[in-house]
Amino acid sequence: MNANTDQLAMAAPNPAIVQLQKKVRQTIVDLGATPTGCHVGGSLSVADILIAAFISSDREQGDEVVLSKGHAAAGLYAVMHHMDMLPEDPAVGYGRRGSILTGHPNHKIPGIRFSTGSLGHGVAYAVGWALARKLKGDRRRGLVVAGDGELQEGLCWEAFQLASAQRLGNFVVVIDRNGGQNDGAVDDISPLENLDKRFESFGFRVETLDGHDIDALSARIVAHDLTGDRPLAIIAETVKGKGIPAIENNPACHYVVLKPAMAQKWKESMA
Amino acid sequence: MSLAGRVAYREELTRLAHQHPEIVCLEADLGGAKHPFQEAFPDRFYNLGIAEAAAVDCATAIALNGYTPFFSTFAPFAVLRSAESIKLSLAYMGANIKVVAPYAGVAGGWFGTTHHCLEDFAVIRSFPGIRILAPYGEEETREMVRLMVGTPGPFYMRLGRNGAYASLDGERDSHGIVWQGGSDQGVCLVSAGEMGTVAVLAAREQRGDLAHAHLCMLDQPALEIAAQAIAARCHTVLVVEEHRPMGGIGSALALLMPDCRVHSFNCGEKWPNSGGSHEEVLESLGFSTAALLEKIDTLTAAMA
Repeated sequence: MNANTDQLAMAAPNPAIVQLQKKVRQTIVDLGATPTGCHVGGSLSVADILIAAFISSDREQGDEVVLSKGHAAAGLYAVMHHMDMLPEDPAVGYGRRGSILTGHPNHKIPGIRFSTGSLGHGVAYAVGWALARKLKGDRRRGLVVAGDGELQEGLCWEAFQLASAQRLGNFVVVIDRNGGQNDGAVDDISPLENLDKRFESFGFRVETLDGHDIDALSARIVAHDLTGDRPLAIIAETVKGKGIPAIENNPACHYVVLKPAMAQKWKESMA
Repeated sequence: MSLAGRVAYREELTRLAHQHPEIVCLEADLGGAKHPFQEAFPDRFYNLGIAEAAAVDCATAIALNGYTPFFSTFAPFAVLRSAESIKLSLAYMGANIKVVAPYAGVAGGWFGTTHHCLEDFAVIRSFPGIRILAPYGEEETREMVRLMVGTPGPFYMRLGRNGAYASLDGERDSHGIVWQGGSDQGVCLVSAGEMGTVAVLAAREQRGDLAHAHLCMLDQPALEIAAQAIAARCHTVLVVEEHRPMGGIGSALALLMPDCRVHSFNCGEKWPNSGGSHEEVLESLGFSTAALLEKIDTLTAAMA
């Protein structure tokens, strides 16, 4: 095998990961077809980031992964289910009377420590996690997945300031930059000009990556020096509605209540 | 010599931290340049800067990692800037966080309305699950710090600013009340918090035959217990508190004591927007010894 074929082999998609991505997306569509529907667009954009985050973390050893853009709960539940952290199929109980699988993740769900949905809080919580692990001396990682629209919350920047001030190299934020928010496009409502430079000016290491390239995301997360002084910001460029051709990049897919027939059609349309 | 509540808090927490390595002290730039905890335990002290909501969210993660975070900043900022974080982390999640809030009421005196908080009981009491403390005097403050260190779960403790008071004589009974004698037949004065107690003590110097029930545990479960004990002894009750009438301890006790006549002496609905000392600002709100005596005499006359 020469060098070129080596590179090709490395670049070839991992079949297990591809299968996982597909199952997760099918479950997200199923969640969209529940009586309440769900935030389909943002769940599909963030799913690959969450897979990468969990692959890169050992939560039993002290790493934390928190989804701060809690409205993408369907994405989190689907990923947790197919990565063996949530036994039940979330589409069965989601949003229903008596189910703990609410429309935003809560700490009553095994495997979730912090309730999110009010934007910004998960970012500050993850900073606190990194601070606590630095105090413990093991420097395990506090990783938060935040939305790009979420960065309009001042609380996020309080927290980033704090991560920088406390020199938390073990804090990692991954921004799901899908360009959309509840009422439309981020660029139309409150744009995030020079986002990479904003993070750089806060003292972060910054990397812009394809938010659907799980290998690249997890490799960058793992490669980050947790013992250093500089937190890491990954701007993950994503597609709202990723994987469903009918809704990719359509801001209207932010929240969807699907009829079963349409859900079936969407699942069949997946590559 | 008695210490102001916020000074007593810092000293007692620092003293306890020698035996409690799990205590972590968090401040939001209002703990003073020479905080005794910082000097004794710099590794467990964090001035998180002026970021109150982020501080409580951070404290949640710190608590989940086995530590006992104490977060302190002025009451208006601790309660109102961090209100949502307190709701989610302390109340909903039950995180083992202790919020300690000096400058409650109008203790900030001349600093003006931005630095006052006449709403803290109303806000915090509306979140179930948080124990609420409002000690009077150095010894009671130290006692409450020890209680918080020894009791898992979320707490909010209200403190004043620089007023230094010797705590009341007498033991807290099984209902959480420190009683001062007097006749059970007259108006029973119920004091809540530092200046509520100061006002009652001043009034009792002139109307010493009145019973006084001092409360420093003010969350709903604590008040339910206290209310039963007070109702068993007295019929007409005057709650004295440095707070607005809305959501205060008077309104809470009124619901808990339906067979009693519960009145409130409080800071009313005006904004404390003039200068002056703590006492002078209170007076501008109608909260003075003279006004309290007038209220007591009116109630006493009505009972005759």
